Amino acid sequence: MGERLSVAVQGFHPSGFLSEETARLRELAQDRKVLSAISGGVDSTVATLVARQALGDSLLPVMIDTGFLRLGEPERVKERLAKSPTLLKVRLVHASGRFLASIKGETSAEEKRKKFRETFYQILKEESVKEGCEYILQGTIAPDWIETQGGIKTQHNVLGQVGIDPAKTYGFKIIEPLADLYKDQVRALGRHLNLPGELSERQPFPGPGLLVRCIGNVTKEKIRVLKEATRRVETSLSPFNYEQYFAAVIENKFSRNPSLKTISEVAGEALGLPQSDVHVEIFEDRVTGVKGDQRCYGLLAGVKLSEESRETYGWLQDRLRQLQTSIVEKYSDITRVALLVKERRRGGSLSILVRAVSTRDFMTAAVSPVPWKILKDIAHQELKEENVNRVYYDITPKPPGTIEFE
Amino acid sequence: MTTIPVVYVKGQYNHLIVRNLKELGVYSKLLPPSVPPDELQSIDPDGLVMGGGPQSVRSPNELTGELADAARLIRQVKLPMLCICVTHQLLATAFGGVTEAARKPEFGPVEISVIEEGRILEGLGPSFTAWESHNDEVVKVPTGFRVIARSSNCAVEAIRHEDRDIFGVQFHPEVSHTAKGVDLFKNFLHIVEEHK
Repeated sequence: MGERLSVAVQGFHPSGFLSEETARLRELAQDRKVLSAISGGVDSTVATLVARQALGDSLLPVMIDTGFLRLGEPERVKERLAKSPTLLKVRLVHASGRFLASIKGETSAEEKRKKFRETFYQILKEESVKEGCEYILQGTIAPDWIETQGGIKTQHNVLGQVGIDPAKTYGFKIIEPLADLYKDQVRALGRHLNLPGELSERQPFPGPGLLVRCIGNVTKEKIRVLKEATRRVETSLSPFNYEQYFAAVIENKFSRNPSLKTISEVAGEALGLPQSDVHVEIFEDRVTGVKGDQRCYGLLAGVKLSEESRETYGWLQDRLRQLQTSIVEKYSDITRVALLVKERRRGGSLSILVRAVSTRDFMTAAVSPVPWKILKDIAHQELKEENVNRVYYDITPKPPGTIEFE
Repeated sequence: MTTIPVVYVKGQYNHLIVRNLKELGVYSKLLPPSVPPDELQSIDPDGLVMGGGPQSVRSPNELTGELADAARLIRQVKLPMLCICVTHQLLATAFGGVTEAARKPEFGPVEISVIEEGRILEGLGPSFTAWESHNDEVVKVPTGFRVIARSSNCAVEAIRHEDRDIFGVQFHPEVSHTAKGVDLFKNFLHIVEEHK
């Protein structure tokens, strides 16, 4: 963290940005009240601080507890932002029941994301009416509208850029002070605003939160398992300073598509291993990827190596990259490849996926070389969970994967 | 200030090209490919970069409206021009080349071998790592163009016009994981400044 703090962002001048943007916001909002949608992440926190410089007390920060946040997150965020130097009095809106009900029975990633967006803006609409706010301020940044406009995935905080008029649909107008910036520029702006490192360098968390890390069908049990796994994985990986690292959960249901039968051979060939050492399974639930600038809602290949080979190849990032490339090049429907770290023979029906990547701007991402021993430690802990019997490590860069799974 | 707008054909990285150019002190912004000639004139550009996008150019007669507009720009604009990914393929087909489905598509890191550095790839040889994301590739280079880089999967990673300052690259110099991408933009900027 310390190292990144000192990195200046070339060609981006926070003070110039700030004076231009605050002038624009004053002109836009005049003396009207503005509701600021806060998640506790760096984007919405920085957007709110920029707006407060312009608008002062006519800004009302509101945070929605969607039920898909980390354990204890809403209370922690509210408490942290109330302190110096942010001094934001955030009002919490509890809506976990509403969000869960709205995505009930949905398994498609895009449907889940769209239902989430709808509930999110319905709640903001109710709150804005209650508070008499004409404007909603949000922390949308460049990758959000680029990915949504490009049809890669629907981000929950993008309306106007995809032809939805917020005034007509929800009765409020939207302000996005950071819409032209990337994450590293937002962090630089945060540092300029004297945000402490724990906030300006905070690990990103998607708007729909654990909803998009709970692959396919959403159940209370899957979310519970995922919240625990998130805590464990974040704790184990935080010392490594990866730009993004997290856990996801998927059900152990596998596809029987016969055209994929040769895939174990392809994988064995890529690693130079006999076929008896390699076994590939294809998960039934689909995951989001991007191939040739196009959304590819494709398949996830789970590669299991014999225990001995795993001990060798788990450390060899270059070979794992070959493994991933050979599968994704050959099978156009497969977007992502994960390597089995550890399994338990009996009991359980869920797999945990561990993902860690290095990225500057979240537009491309390289797989971070998590030491195999650390992955085994995580898996060892994870397999104590009754419903979890496998732990995988995602070895797919973006592209052809995306950073999140859905 | 040098002005180099970026033609936005809905690719994920088009806006990153603007960012790269701004970081080099250039004035840049996204323009739709349908930008009318007089509007383009009014910006007074010194060069043009065309971004990538999700569309296919395999059938030159069945281009999307956006790519048809982009092809018109490629043919009409007489400024230094850099075409990336799908517009690299479009550049080739607009001048009579052929684009087809790649035998081996490339996603993520790829090793690029430089055949001829010239001005645009100056300092990038003999090889460098670039990130890619493409299902199609140029299989026939039009007359008047030269191939200046290749990879083990793809024979046409970069082309240049023999007389004019027009360049096409299959890879993405604008993404941060293409470490030497910024050098390519610096080279292009030099070319634009010499052309002024």
